[in-house]
Amino acid sequence: MYWGGNPAECHPRHFTKYTLMQKSKFLPRGRKDRTMALVDIRATKSAKAADIFLQVRPGKDFEMITILRAMVKGESIPESQIAETGLSLETLEDLVARMKAAKFGAIFFGMGLSMTRGKHMNSAALLTLAAEMNAFTKFVAMPMRGHGNVTGADVIMRWQTGYPFGISFNRGYPRYNPGEFSTVDVLVRGDCDAAFIIGADPGATMPQPAIDHLAAIPTICLDPHVTHTSKLAKVHITTAPAGIAAPGTGYRMDEIPLPLKPALNSPYPSDEEVVRRINQAIAKMPDWMPEGEPPMVLSQV
Amino acid sequence: MSVIHLVVKEQPSVPLEAECISPDSFAELSNDEIRALRVYHGKRQCRVDDFFDVDGEKSDHIQIHGDVGRVRWLGRAMTRGTLQIYGDVGMHLGAYMKNGRIEVHGNAGDWIGAEMKNGFVHIHGDAGGQIGAAYRGSLRGMKNGTIIVDGTAGIEVGMRMRRGTIVVGGKVRDFAGLQMKGGTLVLLGGAEIRTGAWMTRGTIISLKPIQLMPTFRTSGPMNPMFMNVYARQLGKLGIDLPFDRRSGSYIRHCGDMSIPGKGELFVWQS
Repeated sequence: MYWGGNPAECHPRHFTKYTLMQKSKFLPRGRKDRTMALVDIRATKSAKAADIFLQVRPGKDFEMITILRAMVKGESIPESQIAETGLSLETLEDLVARMKAAKFGAIFFGMGLSMTRGKHMNSAALLTLAAEMNAFTKFVAMPMRGHGNVTGADVIMRWQTGYPFGISFNRGYPRYNPGEFSTVDVLVRGDCDAAFIIGADPGATMPQPAIDHLAAIPTICLDPHVTHTSKLAKVHITTAPAGIAAPGTGYRMDEIPLPLKPALNSPYPSDEEVVRRINQAIAKMPDWMPEGEPPMVLSQV
Repeated sequence: MSVIHLVVKEQPSVPLEAECISPDSFAELSNDEIRALRVYHGKRQCRVDDFFDVDGEKSDHIQIHGDVGRVRWLGRAMTRGTLQIYGDVGMHLGAYMKNGRIEVHGNAGDWIGAEMKNGFVHIHGDAGGQIGAAYRGSLRGMKNGTIIVDGTAGIEVGMRMRRGTIVVGGKVRDFAGLQMKGGTLVLLGGAEIRTGAWMTRGTIISLKPIQLMPTFRTSGPMNPMFMNVYARQLGKLGIDLPFDRRSGSYIRHCGDMSIPGKGELFVWQS
């Protein structure tokens, strides 16, 4: 199942390499042994590849997933209440029956789900649905990531701190609270007085108040290219493009680490080297804690 | 009754974490000791008197004057006394509080009274989201106590609350009463979408028509007896909750069937 994504155009190798075409021991006929459902607000190119296309009304994903969760548990939902999602009872009953009959179901969700009204709760709904489907059959859910190595950032933060994003270290230990510490909220509220940006272009994607704040504070940007962010940054350090002229490890969407060998040489240092040299310079400066005391832990009460 | 007055003398340039500003920690301290308490300005450890003029000592009644919109964790885990704030206040006000009284004459940020156990919070202006909610990864929000917001409120009001009462005068945004496990949420000004989504138990009362989740079932009009009790209790706090069958009735909806939950959602119809 693909939900709110367009893999045919955004992840063109996803069908052939992973989800649809591959022949395997238990699915020897490849595509013929599989069923693909696509849920989206309009018929994208991916709809041609799908066996079932469900056109959900924009902004009704959360409602539709919640209805599915109820139907999976055998609750009956009146047709009139399903109609507001733009789908019929018959379609959803068929979908639930197919989901339960599947030997191994996988849900891939894209920005159409996670970046529309409801945001994290839309993703939470789909992940809960996948978790609850495991009462009947094996089911998993996975986000379809956008840019290169965003999974890598999540994975590294997760094993280093225990949390994937939205972390504050100001008390000397990691604290997690998306909405309070996540980048876009911190910038929109103007909570930070400096910004250090590596391999990202918030100047192109974030809301205007966040961009205005980035322009107002000392922003340092590490990027191989001139970007919207580097234009408004006070300092732009050109680095070698990772994976092309700098070695390293990239994380694939399914959290598989892939070693990257550089194909070209670059006169610029890699991101890693720049950060290491900044760290060395910081280590020479005096300790920031006034009495050298460790910060107080804001523990659970 | 002696009162400790805190007047903002310098605005923090980044959020200030001041969980030490609470009646419990001020109660036994002299003026000098209060001034020397530690607050966190970003990562830097500062003293209370770097940001506030402190007047008074050894009291569990605190008044804060000025805009403390960037000051977080005020009155954290307080068990007694009063905290009055004349101005806007930042996030996590009264989080984990066990008793006492907080009054804000201004607007408040997110996470007001998050995971509180008891006590009373009154915001005279608007409030942010996640009022009385459970922190991320936590299963239960507020366990008891009362939160009253005169103005509007943000998303996820009363998320995973377990017991207690939240009253919001203005309109609340999406996901009010999300995954509620008990308690009462009174929405005098109605709500945006997805109210009561995934609720297990608990009561949501709305005086304005609201858009329901498709997974709620409608039971029909009724005037439950407990509404009289609620109306009497909330009347003491200055909140007018209609209950008289001559002026109208409540339409009862139950859900959320996706859980399947036993929550109830009453919408007033005059």
